[in-house]
Amino acid sequence: MDKDAEKIIKEAQEKLENATDLESLDQIYIELFGKNSDLNKLTKKISNLSKEQRPKAGQAINKAKKRLEKLFEETKSKLITYHLSLITSVDVSAPGKKTEIGHLHLVSQAIEEIVEIFSKLGFFLQSYPEIDWDWYAFESLNMPKGHPARDEWETFFIKSPFHPKLGSQVLTPHTSNGQVREMQRLKKPPIRMINIARCYRRQIDVSHTPMFHQFEGLLIDKKVSIPDLKGTFDFFTANFFGPNRQTRLRPHHFRFTEPSFEVDITCDICEGIGCRMCKSGWLELGGAGMVHPKVLSAGNIDPNVYTGFAFGWGIERTISMKTKIPDIRLLYQSDIRFLEQF
Amino acid sequence: MNIRIPVSWLRDYLKTDAAAKTIANLLTAGGPSVENTTKHGEDYIFDIEVTTNRFDTLSVFGIAREANAILNMQGYKSNLNLPKGVSLNLEPDTSNRLILDVVIKNPNLCPRFTAIVLDNIKVKPSPAYIRNRLGSSGIRQINNIVDISNFVMLELGQPMHTFDFDKIIDSKMILRKSKEGEKITTLDSKIRKLPEGTIVIQDSKRLIDLCGIMGAENSRVTRRTKRVVLFVQSYNSQTIRKTTQKLAFRTEAASRFEKDIDLEGILPALSRAVYLLKQTANAKIASELVDIYPKKQTFQKISLDTKKLNKYLGIKFEQSLASQILTLLGFKVITLKPTRLNAQIPSWRARDIEGDIDLIEEIARVWGYHNLPSKLPEGQIPQTRDNELKEVIKLKTALKYLGLTEVITYSIVSKELLKLSQVSRKHAVELNNPLGDQWQFMRPSLIPSLLEVLAKNINVKKYLKIFEIARTYVNQNGDLPRQDLILTVVINNVNFSQIKGYVENILEILERGVKWQKLFKDSPLFDKDQSSQISISSQIVGTIGLLKRDLCDFFQVGSNVQAAQINLSSICSLPKITHAYKPIPKYPPVIEDISAIFSNATPIDEILGTIQKTSSLVKKIELIDIFTGRQIGESQKSATFRLTYQKSISTPTQEEVDIEKAKIITSLKKEFRARIRK
Repeated sequence: MDKDAEKIIKEAQEKLENATDLESLDQIYIELFGKNSDLNKLTKKISNLSKEQRPKAGQAINKAKKRLEKLFEETKSKLITYHLSLITSVDVSAPGKKTEIGHLHLVSQAIEEIVEIFSKLGFFLQSYPEIDWDWYAFESLNMPKGHPARDEWETFFIKSPFHPKLGSQVLTPHTSNGQVREMQRLKKPPIRMINIARCYRRQIDVSHTPMFHQFEGLLIDKKVSIPDLKGTFDFFTANFFGPNRQTRLRPHHFRFTEPSFEVDITCDICEGIGCRMCKSGWLELGGAGMVHPKVLSAGNIDPNVYTGFAFGWGIERTISMKTKIPDIRLLYQSDIRFLEQF
Repeated sequence: MNIRIPVSWLRDYLKTDAAAKTIANLLTAGGPSVENTTKHGEDYIFDIEVTTNRFDTLSVFGIAREANAILNMQGYKSNLNLPKGVSLNLEPDTSNRLILDVVIKNPNLCPRFTAIVLDNIKVKPSPAYIRNRLGSSGIRQINNIVDISNFVMLELGQPMHTFDFDKIIDSKMILRKSKEGEKITTLDSKIRKLPEGTIVIQDSKRLIDLCGIMGAENSRVTRRTKRVVLFVQSYNSQTIRKTTQKLAFRTEAASRFEKDIDLEGILPALSRAVYLLKQTANAKIASELVDIYPKKQTFQKISLDTKKLNKYLGIKFEQSLASQILTLLGFKVITLKPTRLNAQIPSWRARDIEGDIDLIEEIARVWGYHNLPSKLPEGQIPQTRDNELKEVIKLKTALKYLGLTEVITYSIVSKELLKLSQVSRKHAVELNNPLGDQWQFMRPSLIPSLLEVLAKNINVKKYLKIFEIARTYVNQNGDLPRQDLILTVVINNVNFSQIKGYVENILEILERGVKWQKLFKDSPLFDKDQSSQISISSQIVGTIGLLKRDLCDFFQVGSNVQAAQINLSSICSLPKITHAYKPIPKYPPVIEDISAIFSNATPIDEILGTIQKTSSLVKKIELIDIFTGRQIGESQKSATFRLTYQKSISTPTQEEVDIEKAKIITSLKKEFRARIRK
């Protein structure tokens, strides 16, 4: 019996020495201590022995079992130590295996951010035709035909039959065609709308492309005042440009708002002192104003009951103010090396 | 329009201790914007932006008037002084009276015409202060006569012209519309062919003035000139604007006459010029004043309810303060009630002030927008929803994480690019006033534009996965064009199943189920045999697949470019898939594969449908393998499906599974003549 036990231990020692990983160790455990293990078979043989021989044999088996267990534990801890040493030797500075991710255009990134900010204030995203009737793009916005203000837009016109009431079809030079359309859609204030769309003007240079993006906001309700407009801009600029920038309203002129403003923001390069990039410390953000009573009337809203404000400006401009892109045409040259930067 | 104003000149009328920088800041905050201040010797020059409605501030005095009102309201001491000589007694000084015979053929072209003849003129260089000021304002100096008319134009905003009286044949001036084919040689020695209907003046023989724009060379003032006609008027602004546009010729005077001139400012300007001519050129008045002014300007009054003012300003504003501001700006104000005042519009604001809302703007800006509080709007949030664009924003982000890169290309395309989409003439949307060849049509498809992007980048990056979401345009006979939002994906060097995989992902993101079908007719863009139409509840919403060979050849982007064109406007208007709760199975399923050989023409989705229909025990079918090859047979394919059999009350027994499997095999044999593989 002692001999048998010796043999089992010897065989086990060999197996354990050959074990290289923890999984094979699990297998060895079953082989050493399982139902079909030699040790178990040996134990079963005890019943065949005489009464006198049994205790001795039992002791021998027990001793062998303890020895085996010790051997097993030693091997296991050796293997664990070895594996741990393997893990710590990984070069963590080597690049991982990534899933390829694409890129969103800067314009879309800005749109997403703007929509997010204004939706906190209860503004809803809407869109209107990019090719629209003259009536929505100009006439209803207090810009009658022949008015000099209409020359400024340098509008593209569509080859199309003339509509007796709505006029020609135009490629919208601004997003303001959405103003009266939104009044017609909701029929009654409160209105809180933002509209982001492609716009078109016949001009091309460093700061103009014939196609660009504008966003427009419109809020109409009872008791809307200039302080509401100021507060809305302060909220937007703090969220979009960061809390350290200030805004100001400067008198301006637009046909569809009265009073009209240009909204400026402090220049982040010189922090408001005045530099080459700005006008005496301020950068022009866009136009705004209180909705002109004639525009409210065009949208069938009583200007004696309701007031409102509207604003609109170029997305490209806000992007170039944030990212310092020198030429906005870069945005539309679709160079993958540019697009993948953002 | 911008004007340059030397601060020293401004201070001739604006009497204040405020520093130039303060004046600039306050003007910007409450009036015309001072965009830049530059130092010029001891002086400063303001570069001021004047908006189209405020032609009255297109002059040194106009700016002084604005600055004076604002300075006073912002706590600075300031007074406004009128220029000298604006209300001279214009009686003739000489006994030798000269007579100018003026005829106005079309009174509506010239609301006011004034002229006076001056004798005893000495043409010489202007005095230094005039020369300096014109110089720093960016105007060329010529001689005292011409310089004074330019000086007064900058000072008061009123353009004027001087003729050599002795060159006007028969002392006759006839103002009329030009006839077809008439020509004039202007002061810059250029011969100009006039568009019909231009406002001109002739003497008894020839044209002597291109009105409002430039005088004729034949009647110019020279060194030898002894007598001049000083001539100040206003014209129909729209006619002047049309002429400058047609001639593509605009002068400083024209850009002022294009706006409406203050009719009451004409005589003071003439008087001021006479005063200066007397001072610097020894001029003597030699004629009666000609002043043809058929429809005198009326002075409108506007009533303002201060409750409305308070509503706009969001604060309670003292009515007395409101009248003080209006008075400083030249309005004549009467208080009607404690909450109502009446303001008479000054002549120089007659065109731009229309209603009480304009008065509110005047009061608010001079008071200072910076003095108003800032708060978030109160009131109800509207009961409405975001439109499909919100869903599109989410989709774009998802596409990014699927590995696609967004591009934005122009919606206006050249004829060449349009042609590639093979849109019919009837459906093309064309611009009436294109911008060169490149900006001529509204595109009906984004694919050519994206291929252009591919071509542009292919040397930098071999594999490109790009997308764009934009509207496309299809003419609809008289109505506005159809302007659907289209998602277009272009990927090179992948196969159909890869592009389809992307589109399946996209539709999962959009939560819409679709049907796939081979193209049943030729497409201008897609290869008919290797593309699919996608539809939702029998409405076609897109096409995906291999792009045509010749299209790819045109852009030299290789032959293997896959694309997807999906109409998001259509998809977003269709209902989403609803996700109803199904109990999570308690008992494990039995999973078994079936392999079979089918005709190549048998669509996989029909096979899937048949299996699904045949056995209710099958809860999930996956296509795990598909291949063709000689060992399978000509026009045949082998497909392996992994079927999941599952029950809610127990695990299916092998017997049950075998019965279902036999049923499925029978159906496949019957419907598709499938050969089952062991």
